Amino acid sequence: MARTPVLSTRVLLICAAIGVATGILAGIAGWVTPVLLASPLLFLYGLVLGSHVLPGIIAQEVLRLPLVALITHVFAALIATAFNPAWALRFIGTALLFGLIQEGVAALTRYRSWGPWRFFLSAAVIGVVVAVVVFFAAHLAVMPVWAQILYLAISVLGPIAWTAVGLAIGTALRKAGVARR
Amino acid sequence: MSAEVTGSSTRSAATAAGGRAFDPYARMTATSPRQFLYALNPLAKVAGFAPAMVLLVFVRDLATPAAFLVLAYGLLLVGARLTRRVLALLLLGLPAGMLLITVGFSLWVDAGLVDGSTPVVRIGDWTLYSGALVIGSATALRLGSIMALALIGGLTTSGPDLVRASVQQLRVPYRVGYTALAAFRFVPRFGHELAVIRAAHRVRGYHGGRGPFARIARGWGYIVPLLAGAIRHAERVALAMDSRAFGAHPTRTERHLVPFRVRDMVFTLTTLLASAAIFVAFFPWQLP
Amino acid sequence: MRPSAPLLSVRELSLTHADAAHPSPRDVTFDIHPGEVVLLLGPSGSGKSTLTLALNGLIPHALPATMVGTVTAGGIDTAAAQPATLSTHVAMVFQDPDAQIVTGTVYDEVAFGPENLLLPLDVVQGRVEAALRRVGLWDRRDENPDHLSGGGRQRLAIACALAMGSPLIVLDEPTANLDPQGIDDVYAALADVVAAGDRAILLVEHNLDAAMDFVTRTLVLDRDGTVVFDGPAAEIMRGHAAELVAMGVWLPAATLAALRLREHGHSLEPLPLTPEQLAEGLEREDVSPRSARSTTGEHDPSSSGPQPPSSSAEHSDETKRPAGPIIRARGLTVRRRRTEILHGIDLDLEPGSLTAIVGTNGAGKTTLIQALAGVVPPPRGQVLVDGIDPGIASPRDLAARIGFVFQNPEHQFIAHTVFDELAHGLRLRHVPDAEINARVEEMLARFGLEHKADVHPFLLSGGEKRRLSVGTALITRPRVLALDEPTFGQDRARAAELLDLLQNLRAEGTTIVIVTHDLQLVAEHSTHVVLLADGRVRAAGPTASLFRDQQLFADAGLRMPALQRVLASAGLEAMR
Ligand SMILES: Nc1ncnc2c1ncn2[C@@H]1O[C@H](COP(=O)(O)OP(=O)(O)OP(=O)(O)O)[C@@H](O)[C@H]1O
Ligand SMILES: Nc1ncnc2c1ncn2[C@@H]1O[C@H](COP(=O)(O)OP(=O)(O)OP(=O)(O)O)[C@@H](O)[C@H]1O
Ligand SMILES: [Mg+2]
Ligand SMILES: [Mg+2]
Repeated sequence: MARTPVLSTRVLLICAAIGVATGILAGIAGWVTPVLLASPLLFLYGLVLGSHVLPGIIAQEVLRLPLVALITHVFAALIATAFNPAWALRFIGTALLFGLIQEGVAALTRYRSWGPWRFFLSAAVIGVVVAVVVFFAAHLAVMPVWAQILYLAISVLGPIAWTAVGLAIGTALRKAGVARR
Repeated sequence: MSAEVTGSSTRSAATAAGGRAFDPYARMTATSPRQFLYALNPLAKVAGFAPAMVLLVFVRDLATPAAFLVLAYGLLLVGARLTRRVLALLLLGLPAGMLLITVGFSLWVDAGLVDGSTPVVRIGDWTLYSGALVIGSATALRLGSIMALALIGGLTTSGPDLVRASVQQLRVPYRVGYTALAAFRFVPRFGHELAVIRAAHRVRGYHGGRGPFARIARGWGYIVPLLAGAIRHAERVALAMDSRAFGAHPTRTERHLVPFRVRDMVFTLTTLLASAAIFVAFFPWQLP
Repeated sequence: MRPSAPLLSVRELSLTHADAAHPSPRDVTFDIHPGEVVLLLGPSGSGKSTLTLALNGLIPHALPATMVGTVTAGGIDTAAAQPATLSTHVAMVFQDPDAQIVTGTVYDEVAFGPENLLLPLDVVQGRVEAALRRVGLWDRRDENPDHLSGGGRQRLAIACALAMGSPLIVLDEPTANLDPQGIDDVYAALADVVAAGDRAILLVEHNLDAAMDFVTRTLVLDRDGTVVFDGPAAEIMRGHAAELVAMGVWLPAATLAALRLREHGHSLEPLPLTPEQLAEGLEREDVSPRSARSTTGEHDPSSSGPQPPSSSAEHSDETKRPAGPIIRARGLTVRRRRTEILHGIDLDLEPGSLTAIVGTNGAGKTTLIQALAGVVPPPRGQVLVDGIDPGIASPRDLAARIGFVFQNPEHQFIAHTVFDELAHGLRLRHVPDAEINARVEEMLARFGLEHKADVHPFLLSGGEKRRLSVGTALITRPRVLALDEPTFGQDRARAAELLDLLQNLRAEGTTIVIVTHDLQLVAEHSTHVVLLADGRVRAAGPTASLFRDQQLFADAGLRMPALQRVLASAGLEAMR
């Protein structure tokens, strides 16, 4: 009865390690959010929300396996929630949403292609979704048109910028010979 | 795979040093019978308010979020243990944050939409209208009420219990759930590792200098050693878990049951009904 | 011949790591029967750890290594079953107690395995209680494992292995990270397990002194990973002592001491394996020869006495300064988060000495060495290192005076190649490129890293990483080198390699300060000892004179290694 599980314990725990590191970051982002929303720098919110793409990007770049992005996102959300319970639902929501988008894009290439374009494609999709959600959540309709455009542009660019950061981290880890298989 | 160098003795110093360190396993228990929130299933607390939290995002008036805010505060003040930290958060932190958001957001409101209302502040040819403040406070109340509702579960549930409930009721695979439990152990360890890495880099004079850019460059230098150490540690933990029959069977014996009882059902239904009542009473989506 | 079927049988087993060129171990065949306690010996890299990982199927199922030959545990072929299934036949205890703990309380931790086995609740509870009682942790079952000492956590790992119910327990260097008290606790627990007679143990251990008492059989791998000896432990060690030493296998400290005594014409028959046997042997013949102490090599650090620094112009960018202590602390008081940890420390360290700071866990050793080296700047005016005050000096000035080597070398690596890693300190000081090249090349050659210049520091082997971290601290030619637990988690062979390096540096005039738990190492290699207890200096002085007073160590909560006690009582301590 040698069942070979889809994801080995090793892969699960590597996801957990990445999830904890990025989850702590998300917890910090959670504290920054209300401060940012109250400040004149409000329009940078997209950049903060974009940081939530990191768990999936690093996990996919390091492990290059199905499901790792989603699982790492969930671990990160749990850890962030432990730090910052007020944002629990938002953490879990973004984790599932971003995780599913990243998994979806990876699945479209049948988990064969791991070129940077694939990561940026998922970032762009996430950016658009974020922009729409932010439009409602932050009540953008009452803002001047230029502010709406700026806000939406930054919402799309945020995930893309953080994807670049995540890719750089993942590449650096691969170079350091971490989690080689 | 020999475990080269690990941090057990340094870590023990950190634990002793930490004082009130982050302890995700600390039991969350009631100290008096009125604190009923702790005895509820974590999922009951999530399911009861999740629909309201989602709907609140699309609300624009003042009354609806205010009503939810009152409801959340009422439940928390009665049903949760009011430590000094919790009181500070509820009575100072959250209100102050909402006030700030009110003011901050109102500055952004397009004056053309609200110039019919009374001017409140006039600086040069820039005017802050009361209408803008109303929109700002609606936004603040909305965010505040969502956060307060999340705190009902957040302040009265431990991470491990949430994981157990997800495994037991939502049928999340237990291998994922228990990996999450193991992950909680990584948190204090990473904190200590980071402190050591920072000291080590400082000693070597890595990216001295002030200012945000030097700080970012320094932070970047910590990431690879921190994550590399974390992943290696995770791989060793995985070997230890595999050696202890982790994943041997599709299920495992559960000693800590987190049951979903009648009272959980009652709580969830009550809160759902209360939410619905508030939405109906204030119906916030009338067309202007 | 034996009545029972073997618990484990290994046949012509060769294991090759995914990126290794040769198999290690190679072509290994042996059986383990109930009641046996087998000690697996071999030089570093011979494949002991790799072999243990194959016994419960982690190789080939969880680790990328190729396996030739068969392992049968409890009648099951490991190639055909997952480690989870095999765990009821072979239980494992690893080196790092922290990497084996997954839950939040001691009780949950032990229950984790039986729960995975889907045992009924009452069986789980019965097993947990039995296991925790056996290792003496039952009274602490509700605590967070973090609050146990290192030894306590390793006993917890043993309880977890016991609770699996498997008849064979495999332990890979279970005490490598522990202080002397922790080691004793672990072996007391193991001796208790063995006494019941129903289990067998396979033990990989470098520190043989504690293990010798209950080992029944030993299996020795050579450098290529093939079995060279297999038989009763005492017989093999007595019969092949010289070969084992030549192979680089560690023997009990008492045996090594006796071998040295033999070189001086003493018979000491039969060869002693424990300090008690050595004591008996010494009683029988009245001896007082030289250098019985050293178990790592020919070095006798104090024979040449503390030397003045040779050519200080070479070792510092500063001009000569008058003789006197190179590190001086006066009333050093350190607080962390409002608690005072070090209380008014006065200390003078001579140039060219190798000083060991010792003390129990939490005595303040790390705090002290970090304050001396300016890793955490001490209050100003209380410390003077080579003429500057680490409390106010910039990291750059500090790095020129004192090199600090952290416990985990990876923590202090900041560049992407070995070359850049070494060049970093020089570039910060704007040394001309040509000179940087020359000095880095020299350092590479000295530490045997020439062919690794372009490799990422994280890709080096453990020993190479350690040498590189020492190299980065030395490249700016500081006159002082400080190391916090440099041998922590390393096997004795690597520890010895590092100590040889430190001896060479000292011979060139570098002053060295180390923090360590290994009193055997202190006795053999240091010139001076600082004994710390509760944030105060309990005693400080030349190693030889301090080691003469056992009571001093006992008062500070430490125990001298058994060998030192024997030698001391035989009147051999005066020979240093
Ligand atoms: N993960 C790995 N990848 C590639 N090679 C490895 C790996 N782990 C060990 N090796 C190599 O396999 C050989 C055997 O290593 P192993 O760790 O089993 O030795 P050991 O006898 O346990 O040594 P030590 O006494 O130092 O613990 C060594 O040459 C080592 O370099
Ligand atoms: N940052 C800190 N904050 C508060 N207390 C601390 C801090 N660092 C250390 N301590 C406390 O100071 C005491 C001395 O710690 P230190 O790490 O110097 O001991 P040590 O002798 O190195 O112990 P070990 O053998 O465990 O490494 C301990 O009781 C420790 O808990
Ligand atoms: Mg080994
Ligand atoms: Mg220490």
